[in-house]
Amino acid sequence: MGRYVIGRIGAAAATLFAASIVIFSFIHLIPGDPVSVMLGDAATPEQVAALRERMGLDEPIWVQYLVWAGNALQGDLGRSIFFETPVTQVIADGAETSILLALITMIWIVLFGIPVGILAAIRQGTWIDQGLSGLAMLLASVPTFWVGLYLILIFAAGLGWFPSSGYPSIFEGGGLANLQYLLLPSIALAAPNAALILRLTRASMLDVSREDFVRTARAKGIRPSRVVLRHILRNALLAVVSAFGFTFAALISEAVVTETVFALPGIGRTVVQSILRRDYPVIQGVILVTVCLYLVINLLVDLSYRLLDPRVEL
Amino acid sequence: MRYGYPLGATALALLLATPLGAQTLRYATIGEPPSLDIQMGTATLATTIAQHMFETLYAFDGEGVPQPFLATGGEVSEDGLTVKITLREGVMFHDGDEMTAEDVAASLLRWSEFGARAGILGLESAEATGDHEVTLTLSEPNGAWQSILAHPNGGPVIYPADIVSEAEGEPISPENYVGTGPYVFGELRPNRYVELTRFDDYTPLDAPADGEAGGREALFETLQFIPVPDVGTRMSGVQAGDYDYAEYISGDLYGLVAEDPAIQVKISEAPIFGLMFTNSEEGPLSDNIPLREAVLAALDMEQALQVSVGEPELYAVDGAFFPEGSVWHTEAGTEPYNQGDPEKARQMAEEAGYDGTPLKLLVSTNYREHFDQATVFARQLGEAGIETEMVVVDWATLLTLRGQPSEWDLFMTHHGAMPDPVLFTVVNESYPGWWQTDERDAAMAALTETSDLDERVAAWADLQTLIWEQVPTIKVGDVYSFDIASPNLQTPWEDAPAFPHFWGASTN
Amino acid sequence: MLGYLRVWTRPVVSRPLAALAGLFLIVVLCCALFAPWIAPYPPDQIDPVNRLLPPDAAHLFGTDHYGRDTFSRAVYGARLALLIGVGVVSFALASGVPIGILSALYPMLGRVLMRMVDVLMSFPSLLLALGLIVILGQGVLNAILAIGLIYLTTTARIVYGVALRLRSEPYVEAARSMGAGTLWIVRRHILPNMVSPLLVQASFVFAFAQLGAAALDFLGLGAPPEIPSWGNMLAEERIYITRASWLLLWPGLMIVLTAFSLNVMGDVLRDRMDPRFREMMGK
Repeated sequence: MGRYVIGRIGAAAATLFAASIVIFSFIHLIPGDPVSVMLGDAATPEQVAALRERMGLDEPIWVQYLVWAGNALQGDLGRSIFFETPVTQVIADGAETSILLALITMIWIVLFGIPVGILAAIRQGTWIDQGLSGLAMLLASVPTFWVGLYLILIFAAGLGWFPSSGYPSIFEGGGLANLQYLLLPSIALAAPNAALILRLTRASMLDVSREDFVRTARAKGIRPSRVVLRHILRNALLAVVSAFGFTFAALISEAVVTETVFALPGIGRTVVQSILRRDYPVIQGVILVTVCLYLVINLLVDLSYRLLDPRVEL
Repeated sequence: MRYGYPLGATALALLLATPLGAQTLRYATIGEPPSLDIQMGTATLATTIAQHMFETLYAFDGEGVPQPFLATGGEVSEDGLTVKITLREGVMFHDGDEMTAEDVAASLLRWSEFGARAGILGLESAEATGDHEVTLTLSEPNGAWQSILAHPNGGPVIYPADIVSEAEGEPISPENYVGTGPYVFGELRPNRYVELTRFDDYTPLDAPADGEAGGREALFETLQFIPVPDVGTRMSGVQAGDYDYAEYISGDLYGLVAEDPAIQVKISEAPIFGLMFTNSEEGPLSDNIPLREAVLAALDMEQALQVSVGEPELYAVDGAFFPEGSVWHTEAGTEPYNQGDPEKARQMAEEAGYDGTPLKLLVSTNYREHFDQATVFARQLGEAGIETEMVVVDWATLLTLRGQPSEWDLFMTHHGAMPDPVLFTVVNESYPGWWQTDERDAAMAALTETSDLDERVAAWADLQTLIWEQVPTIKVGDVYSFDIASPNLQTPWEDAPAFPHFWGASTN
Repeated sequence: MLGYLRVWTRPVVSRPLAALAGLFLIVVLCCALFAPWIAPYPPDQIDPVNRLLPPDAAHLFGTDHYGRDTFSRAVYGARLALLIGVGVVSFALASGVPIGILSALYPMLGRVLMRMVDVLMSFPSLLLALGLIVILGQGVLNAILAIGLIYLTTTARIVYGVALRLRSEPYVEAARSMGAGTLWIVRRHILPNMVSPLLVQASFVFAFAQLGAAALDFLGLGAPPEIPSWGNMLAEERIYITRASWLLLWPGLMIVLTAFSLNVMGDVLRDRMDPRFREMMGK
């Protein structure tokens, strides 16, 4: 087990290193530069060149990489060219929104996906199952931004039940009540992901119900409802829970579109905006952090799987 | 009053938790502002925000005439090369120090060396010749010096000398935003807001407010500028009471809000106009003025404006670069504008020796109007037999590509209202397009060698005529953008200025 | 070959939803193929006087802010939907299949290749696509490439898994021990067994490529804006949602129904699949 863990961590570190080089070199391939964005429409080429030089943007790429990587190892991701604040602060600011949005979305996913998935599995083959499976596929086929636009139109602009956009921090005036700003976005974001969890729940339930120990339990004459609850559900949820990790990571990085529609200050939108502004340090920083997040979750999922499922040998 | 959210307790909590509503102005912006060091950039949004913190020696009054602001007056020498400016005494910086001639001299020098509009004044030196007196030496007479010193956008705002000397050519970092204005820099939260708070030791000018000139008074405790890039969201945000003010609403939404009693409409007093630049350096248009005239003849501006703006009240088909009401307004030379005659254009192109090479039309999607207008133009040119190839990129790429003469023949941009023709980008020889002809030089010299307004206005009429003759750029038309505000907001101006300011603004 | 055809036809008869989905896909295909005959107007015909009209007999889906006919644009949009789908699927299969098979056959090489796939998978996929497009420039081909790259990884993984399992099947082991060549094994045992998992994967990739392309279009980084695509139509007209909400209804529905139909087809195919491979295809 110990050796396995060390091996996995080493592999993750290697992936991270490769990824950092890819990130860095790719970002500097983007045409356009931050300085002309900064100086604006009236600036002349000479002014742009002068400021580029002052900011060290004319150094060779590999020199810039070494400086950046060296600082990153010490936890310093540099300063945003656009905001002129540390990148870590830009990320921290976006992280609150992204994490809370992902958490609330997860709540919807669990509340909807798991019970409905169970229901579909219990009623396997009936019209209820077919209807629910069809519904899941429909939800998975809807673009989140499209749903988002109509949610705003109906529930914010029309009925005025919820705020339309933005998200003031819960640490500011309003406190936890500010979470209502995340309601509509989380519903839009939850739809396709809930569909995936629903299908996964249903499939695992059916898989487990074919296992020997379930058959044994049934043969022993245990009440069917008890078999479902005690034996099938517990084991089926194991697979579902391990999918949560990836869903969570995906919710954080893939929320770009939802964040754009609802003007949420999350990290997805920060990246898109930073790409448009050529704010290299922010793009690099955010992608590096998200890649780390993926790797860590990947590692944890693998390890927990090995710990929880006795059939996987170490 | 906020809309009642049905979550009773939540709504109550929200109301109780935001008692500051009346003292904070929440302004929904089109996006995030770049650096607020507005000497270094010309972004409209940065100027709108930063003008509350940083001030200029002169300021435009309601008529657009520059009036002494941080200065008390100025005197120009006989030869027009020396300007002696006296400064207001007792003006306090946000850090508690008094503004001196040293600060002013250092700020002007840094601006003229590194600023976004460096070189426009022709400043050779700026010296403190007294505690409250600064002497400027110019390389040649500049009749527009007061206007240039009054224009905050990419302009010479005054910072403390030590901050200026530390920053030099790099933008000043937020922790060093120190100015003399009625608001102090509070906090910048990326993606969330920029917050300014009232400067309690502000030293207002003892004169009634008039445009940007005169006394300024901070009635709001806090100004919050919140980025809301989606225009529909900005609008519904004001409707729902989430914002007090939202800028830059699309013309097509005008009909929806004009009648809505829950919304105040603030049409801009000064129009923005689209420009399509032609490449004078390289490519088929560079040495072929007749072909440029053929392109011009093909364009129907009414159509372009209809598509990009929609609401007829919000645009004007006008070839004059200054709007009616401005002292610089003249229709001189605008006859070739808005012909929309494909047959004539086809014939002119043929006579100009056009060989069917597609013209590369560079445009970005970040500004919707640019793209809409370019799409309409491409179609109109096609009807006249002039082929175009649209090069669609994002704004940052466009800024780089347009600097490379081989990459484009035409590019789309826009221009804000300007207080003086010397601030017009097309007259700057190093601005992409690179319009450099002897006639241009002569017309520019006539414009800047005197400070007599009548002579200068006449010189501008000649320059405008020349622009329509040589076609270094093509004006699309005047667009009056509009902002919206909650009905309770009282602003010191009726129509929205180019850079809306909120000193003197309050809620009732 | 007939067997695979039956995989396609049987479920259609047994499940009404699948029949409807198939019918809709045929409609989309016809729109794409015969757009100039179906669409009443050219998709780029500008008519500023008649802009933002509500749906009526002359303009079934109304007109957009250029005065272009939304119905005609929706019909032409099917072309890009098809192009993106076919492009992404081809790219994902053409790159994912060799990578997966080679990795399964040659464990040393497989370690390197699969590690590279891991690196690629560790990037947030939508951000990866965005970054690629900003670097390469906006264009249909680049959009295909950017989305295809996301599905290259999943396809390679699935192929790798299936091939690995097939390689250890007793009859393949037997063939190998009898001296069969690698190429022969691939052709005789691996590829034929791969067809049905790949069909399923293809229909899902096709479906999700639609959603990915729409998201890119919406962010202004997908197909060039002058091309009528459903995503571009939504992106261009989104500010009119309060004033002319029908402009967003139709293109949105086209995306939803296309993706949904493809998902239904994929699902039906999966139910008919060899149960040994089913669990690899996601649940």
